[in-house]
Amino acid sequence: MKRFAKVIFRTSLPLLALVALQPVIFASVDDAQSFALQAAEPYVKQGFQVREDYWGGDLGSGEKKAVRQQLFKGNEYWFWLGTEVDRAKVSVHVYDSDGKLAEEPDGWEKGHFAAAHVIPKATGSYFIIVSVEESPEERTHWALVYGFR
Amino acid sequence: MQVAMRPGQRGGSINVSQIVLSSDLCTAAVPVKVRSINPEYEPEINSRKCQMIPFTRHLKLGVGLLCGLAMCAGAAQAPQHIDIKQLSTTVEDVVVPLPNEIFGALNKLGAVNWKQHVRSDKGPNFTERPRIALLLGTVIADGFIAVQAEDSATVKEIGQRVLALAKGIGVGNSITPHAKAIVEAADKRNWENVRQELDRTQNSVQQAMNEVHDEKLSQLVSLGGWLRGTEVLTSVVKEHFSSDGAELLHQPDLLSYFLTRLKAMPEFNVPIIRQIQDALGEVKPLIDVGNRRIPPESVKKVNEITTRLGHGIVTRD
Repeated sequence: MKRFAKVIFRTSLPLLALVALQPVIFASVDDAQSFALQAAEPYVKQGFQVREDYWGGDLGSGEKKAVRQQLFKGNEYWFWLGTEVDRAKVSVHVYDSDGKLAEEPDGWEKGHFAAAHVIPKATGSYFIIVSVEESPEERTHWALVYGFR
Repeated sequence: MQVAMRPGQRGGSINVSQIVLSSDLCTAAVPVKVRSINPEYEPEINSRKCQMIPFTRHLKLGVGLLCGLAMCAGAAQAPQHIDIKQLSTTVEDVVVPLPNEIFGALNKLGAVNWKQHVRSDKGPNFTERPRIALLLGTVIADGFIAVQAEDSATVKEIGQRVLALAKGIGVGNSITPHAKAIVEAADKRNWENVRQELDRTQNSVQQAMNEVHDEKLSQLVSLGGWLRGTEVLTSVVKEHFSSDGAELLHQPDLLSYFLTRLKAMPEFNVPIIRQIQDALGEVKPLIDVGNRRIPPESVKKVNEITTRLGHGIVTRD
């Protein structure tokens, strides 16, 4: 019985540690989201509705992630990417379903913020490519929000 | 999810003019001029600051080059073309648009009589959670329609209905403040705030469901909203057909996403779920037309299917 209790204790320790660390892990993605929302802030005044939902995760330097998204012709979209890592450099670009760059030339990147502007020429699926270009961290949290008008 | 902004850090500090500036600097040569030293002063300068002059020159050059490089990196050009197939392992699930995203695009094609599409009947109370989730998504979409129609009374009713349904599914606590905010904003006819609160409501419901590992119910909320949005979209386009209006139906990846999700819900033994699954199989070839245009007959057919499903969602078996 004692042995059984020991086994339970040993196996539950890493689980407890994971549970304890979980809020910390999520907090970082949430921080990245707050930066993405900061980048979006000036655009709200221009009539963009920013979605509450967001997409996030973590990437190593030089890694990319694609988010597939349905866009509608007639709407105008901005995508904002943020990370909480101070000296990281991130980028976001939008491609159509044929892999052709579909963004307007006024997209921008500035340190741990980046944004891409899309006025879709056709209704359909688009790929939002997020990338951590450089980062002092091994893994860099990112969050992507978007707005439309 | 509500995340507080960090104090003292404002996104407003980034503006387009700064970006334009960086782009200009990238395309232009770095403007560092190395002036020749007046020979009259050269001996004096060299005697006193002989090391400083080359250092200053180098400093100027170095700083200029560094700034130029840094700014060029900031506005790095993206490749004009990428191989989408190579992304297959890193692609996230398709993002389900909000109904008002479609309605916004529809509005730009011409005036829509939104009042005609407002629906406020309370409908039956279900006990099956998948049915409540579907209905919840539909009712939130009805909220967006009522906002388009600027129908304050219906928006308020919908706010209460959303709260009742959320309670029925066990996530009422996270919705109460949003339901209150919807009613308050509708009273003030602040439609932008109502839209935002409806978005927050859907987000909070889905997050609360995901937190208790009810992701499938969360997906049904999205599906219910999408079906109601598509029903209204096809109804509007059917009445005043235009190719641009029909093109808004071109959502094949979204449809595949829902079909895949429904196939992974065998445990939901509810007839309406299977009916939706079969019906989406009928809709797919009508809207998955590649570069071809979606004809009026297809719009009509999709409208018949989504209207039938919409009726099934709000009616007891």
